[in-house]
Amino acid sequence: MRKSLFFAAVASASLLLIQPVAAHAEVPYETYSYNYYQETVAQPHVYLYDETYTFDGFETPVKNPQDMFVKDDVFYIADTGNSRIVKTNSEGELLLEIKSASSEEDLLSKPQGVFVTDEDHIYVADSGNGRLVEYDENGGYIRQIGRPVTDLIEKDVAYTPQKVVVDKDGRIYVTAYGINMGLLEFNIEGDFQSFMGAVQVSVSPFEYIWKHYFSTKEQQARMATIVPTEYSNIFVDKDNFIYATINNLTNADYVNGADAIRRLNPTGKDILRRLGHYSIIGDLYKSEDNKWSSFIDVAATDYGCYFILDNANGKVFGYDYDGNSLFVFGRNGNREGNVMNAVAIGTNSDASTIYILDYQLNSILTFSITDYGRHLLDALRLNDTGDTEGSIAEWREVLRLNSNNEFAYTGLGKSFLANGEYKKAMEYFKNGNNKKYYSKALYYHRKELMEKNFGKIMAVLAAIVLIPVVVVTFKKIKRWAGEVKCAMSKN
Amino acid sequence: MRYVKELKYGFHILFHPFDGFWQLKREHKGSLAAALTFVGIVIMLTTFEKQTTGFLFNAVRLKDVNVVVDILTVTMIYVLWCVANWCLTSLMDGEGNMKDIFIAMGYALLPMILIRLPMIALSLGITAEEGTFYYVLNSVSYIWTGILVFFGTMVTHQYSFKKTVLTCICTVVGMGIIMFIGLLFFSVIQQMITFFTTIYKEIRF
Repeated sequence: MRKSLFFAAVASASLLLIQPVAAHAEVPYETYSYNYYQETVAQPHVYLYDETYTFDGFETPVKNPQDMFVKDDVFYIADTGNSRIVKTNSEGELLLEIKSASSEEDLLSKPQGVFVTDEDHIYVADSGNGRLVEYDENGGYIRQIGRPVTDLIEKDVAYTPQKVVVDKDGRIYVTAYGINMGLLEFNIEGDFQSFMGAVQVSVSPFEYIWKHYFSTKEQQARMATIVPTEYSNIFVDKDNFIYATINNLTNADYVNGADAIRRLNPTGKDILRRLGHYSIIGDLYKSEDNKWSSFIDVAATDYGCYFILDNANGKVFGYDYDGNSLFVFGRNGNREGNVMNAVAIGTNSDASTIYILDYQLNSILTFSITDYGRHLLDALRLNDTGDTEGSIAEWREVLRLNSNNEFAYTGLGKSFLANGEYKKAMEYFKNGNNKKYYSKALYYHRKELMEKNFGKIMAVLAAIVLIPVVVVTFKKIKRWAGEVKCAMSKN
Repeated sequence: MRYVKELKYGFHILFHPFDGFWQLKREHKGSLAAALTFVGIVIMLTTFEKQTTGFLFNAVRLKDVNVVVDILTVTMIYVLWCVANWCLTSLMDGEGNMKDIFIAMGYALLPMILIRLPMIALSLGITAEEGTFYYVLNSVSYIWTGILVFFGTMVTHQYSFKKTVLTCICTVVGMGIIMFIGLLFFSVIQQMITFFTTIYKEIRF
């Protein structure tokens, strides 16, 4: 009865929540998340479309940009179509324009990546010229890093750097077109060190045997060579770990739950936490136009939440530190607030605004956080910093705004667990469908019950053991007495 | 009182299948009523299990539970197995008649009741790490039932080991065929009804 009441409450609450969302007729996309049962569940909006920066004020408008770096509300855009780098702000002022490297004649050619260090040094992946170029904060040329000197890349393979990041220690990581051995790692001097974080190739025994023993030469040649995938983009977080996205996955990869994103430590090991109910591949099902999500860029917050941009369907996927799907929003389309060909994502320092760079619209779309989103992210942030009290308050707010949020239940459950209210914690973990923590809470609850009722339990156990013993002994005595009696009467 | 005694006889079969099934058939130690009681309990157990098993071990969503489907599933499997088995064994010189088969198969379900019922209570009190216990015991209940079904068939029809294996495999195939024919019949009837209603409508209007 209580359970059905609870479900009724959840159902009515979610109805109430959906209505105001539907009233937002101007929001051209849905926000949802996936629950434990891998169903999509509508959510209140986490980010709402705000405005579009079109850069009309520039002398030459931005054309087919491929990358963007956001720093303190200043945007560095790799304006690939115009072979330049522009630095601009939200007012659309052109703060800096970089067109050349060492000299006026040494022009950039189709740069596809841009990165800005803490000292405001600008690194550019000058794709057309096959080099990286470093500039100082005023756009002054510092140095260039050419083709890596190594035998690992064959001489006749073109070197086309695409994305570049520099970690806190000055190591430079680069993705390059057609190079699938991982990220290229350069040291602080710009010397090539090694490949890092290559994607493992997994060949099933069946595939191997079929290919090597049962196929003719012609068939082998026609079969797709099994090669590791390339990274589509990279992002370095405050802990010096590198988020890398992968997007050229096969249908089978998506169905079997491939890893479409990694978090690499400096030795190249993937340390992304995957404790969610399903693998991190974006949408769990193909979209209406038959497309899987295709991760093209990622931006992470300081507390481990990350937002992945999906180029195929124009969506943004928010995940928490454990790899749980927090929210999904965005859509491809022609309406204002939709994207056409989203290629880069960035956030401001407190993740209150998400910026999306569009290759086709030649502009940046901004999405600002709602109250609900603020509470959600704050709850995770406070949880990360260890402020349990604050995080409980935020989770309560989240739950008030959306009683379908499983993570809020889990979050509150965790705090009850920490406070020793095990029974309550169990109830919340059950609502949050979190078996792992439910089991933990159950363990402590059981222990507590046992300790409290130790006397009673022991009494029952003793009774179970003793009663048969007593009965048997009694019977034995009786029989023995009978025998004695019998013997005596015989005498 | 006789009924209780017949029910109790199930415990004898648990540990002495050969002797037990023999006496069940030749000495009428059990009855159809007792056998159907066991089937009824298994049906109730199946629906009960889905709703009451602890959160950690319950893969079923409460809103997806359909009692009618559960009841039909168990009944169908039981009846289909018995009927298919009877059809086959009457062709393969089996000694058991339909009633014998129904009784033997009913008694063979006892391990399920004895193990799965306490497992429901246990599932409420154990953590995920201790889950192996739950899963192993549950599989034991299925394996034990399987063994009893096998020996039940063997003893009831006086078959050799090899012949019983063959019969069991054929019974499963037979179940499939019966279901297929059933569905075919159903769909033909459906089409016939549509056909006649269409004719009726055409004539009428």
